[in-house]
Amino acid sequence: MPQHIEAQYQEILNEYVKKQTEQNLYVGQNFSRQLILENISPEEVISMHKAAIGELYSDLPDVVWHSFDFLIEMMINYGLALQERQSLLKRQEELKVEMDLAANVQETLLKTKLPSLDGLDIGLLSIPAKKMNGDYIYFVSDYDGYAGVAVADVIGKGLPAALCMSMIKFGMDSLNSSHALPKDVLGVINRIVEKSVDDSMFVSMFYANYDAGAARLTYGSAGHEPAILYRAGSGEFSELEAKGLLLGVSPAAVYEEHSVILEKGDMVIMMTDGVTEGRTEEGFIERDVIYKLIEQKKTEPAQAIVQHVYDELERMQNAELQDDFTLVVYKKG
Amino acid sequence: MNIQVNLTENDNKLKGDIHGEIDAHTAPVLREKLEAYQAKEGLNAELDLSGVDYMDSTGLGVFVAFYKSINAKGGHLKLTGLSSRLKRLFDITGLGDIMDIEAAVGKGGN
Amino acid sequence: MSDQSSVEILTEWDIVAARQLGRNVAKELGFGTVDQARITTAISELARNIYLYAGQGRIEIQQLAENGMKGILIIAADSGPGIPDVRKVMEDGFTTSGGLGAGLPGVKRLMDDFKIETIQGEGTDIRATKWLR
Repeated sequence: MPQHIEAQYQEILNEYVKKQTEQNLYVGQNFSRQLILENISPEEVISMHKAAIGELYSDLPDVVWHSFDFLIEMMINYGLALQERQSLLKRQEELKVEMDLAANVQETLLKTKLPSLDGLDIGLLSIPAKKMNGDYIYFVSDYDGYAGVAVADVIGKGLPAALCMSMIKFGMDSLNSSHALPKDVLGVINRIVEKSVDDSMFVSMFYANYDAGAARLTYGSAGHEPAILYRAGSGEFSELEAKGLLLGVSPAAVYEEHSVILEKGDMVIMMTDGVTEGRTEEGFIERDVIYKLIEQKKTEPAQAIVQHVYDELERMQNAELQDDFTLVVYKKG
Repeated sequence: MNIQVNLTENDNKLKGDIHGEIDAHTAPVLREKLEAYQAKEGLNAELDLSGVDYMDSTGLGVFVAFYKSINAKGGHLKLTGLSSRLKRLFDITGLGDIMDIEAAVGKGGN
Repeated sequence: MSDQSSVEILTEWDIVAARQLGRNVAKELGFGTVDQARITTAISELARNIYLYAGQGRIEIQQLAENGMKGILIIAADSGPGIPDVRKVMEDGFTTSGGLGAGLPGVKRLMDDFKIETIQGEGTDIRATKWLR
């Protein structure tokens, strides 16, 4: 224990014992902060206290000195708990840095490029509820008039989910074609995921392929939230249903595919359950609410529409997202 | 955010009922309780979900994992009392086609 | 030069005897009240581990004098089951989270030097030193 600290403590204590003002206590409080900064343990503080009292009032009865010794013994475990806490905090800080790095790697690894096709306006928004995003969007486009998009939700969180996404990306890259049919894409990725992940991790995925020349969208779903089709002509909304099992449950799963022709102003809205499973104090956010939000901005660019839906749903849920939120809009210009 | 899981096993027949919400917070509780039975050979399990107000994909994951492990050991899992919301979740995910599920009387269908 | 004495740990009361022995030696060497408390707490933890996990063993206290420095060495030896994963028990939060006390990381903190050797099925030998400043 540094001597100047002992001297300072004795002085502050002496002032307090003589005057007992709030000012003295405030000085003491500030001093205790300094003690913590200098890693002075609780047992050392008591020992310092005992020494200081000994110098100021040497004629106190023995029972007082014994009681201080007892208190020192009592404080040893508190001192250890404090040291352990400091070491755990440091460890936590290290883990946080590692998590940040991992999140960055994930972001770089999973980066995708928005296709640019004549006559197709694409809007995309993906907001993670926590640091690591469990939703995954991947576009496939080789500038020949096709734009494929995968919207996936990995059930299971954190690092394992991030690793699983890399597998999806690998699967899509191995097909290496924006012409690939949804049932083939889903079949390939199902086999990859089924082989590689444990029993409690699954992926739901919607895959759509847009042929700009024919204005045809071909889609399939592996246990994913149905996409929404908006018809500008009639102003009606409907769901794009497609049967198919979650990826990673059974290697024997087969996937359907269907197609629709888009007219001018038509939209296909793809999303994850973070959009549809939103809850407010009054209950679940129904699909009609989402339809209404899209309708309000139907004449605006696709990006403005996804932003509007997100802003409004976030507002309804008091800015507390429960789940990762992903929304993709394909709008025919 | 609460869950209550009651399970009783007799003669390799597991009966249970679940109440509350199954989400990322409560799913581990359910998983742990079910895991105690998943290694049994030929287990016949029937779980009543009529008391489940909410379930998200994490909860779904727990049932699929349980389904897969007892199926692999020649057993059977049946889920009953599904609300229309839960039924929809099983239907969308395609699990309704491979798992034995039963909607709640009067609440079923869409 | 070293001077040694030891206590067999068989019952919970032997933990007290080990503490007493450690305190006497620490006091004799000139350790202050705070360090005496740290040394005896370390002895307590080690003796308690023997009592709880090995069933029986021995705490040995030695006085050390090296390069003009004086110190105390605690040896905790048992022929119990050994520790399967030493790294884990030396991790912060492993024993304390279960309310088991300071644990081995605590002993390491209380003393200046800490060595552990353990062989599964044969036993554990822990040596912890504190130097007088």
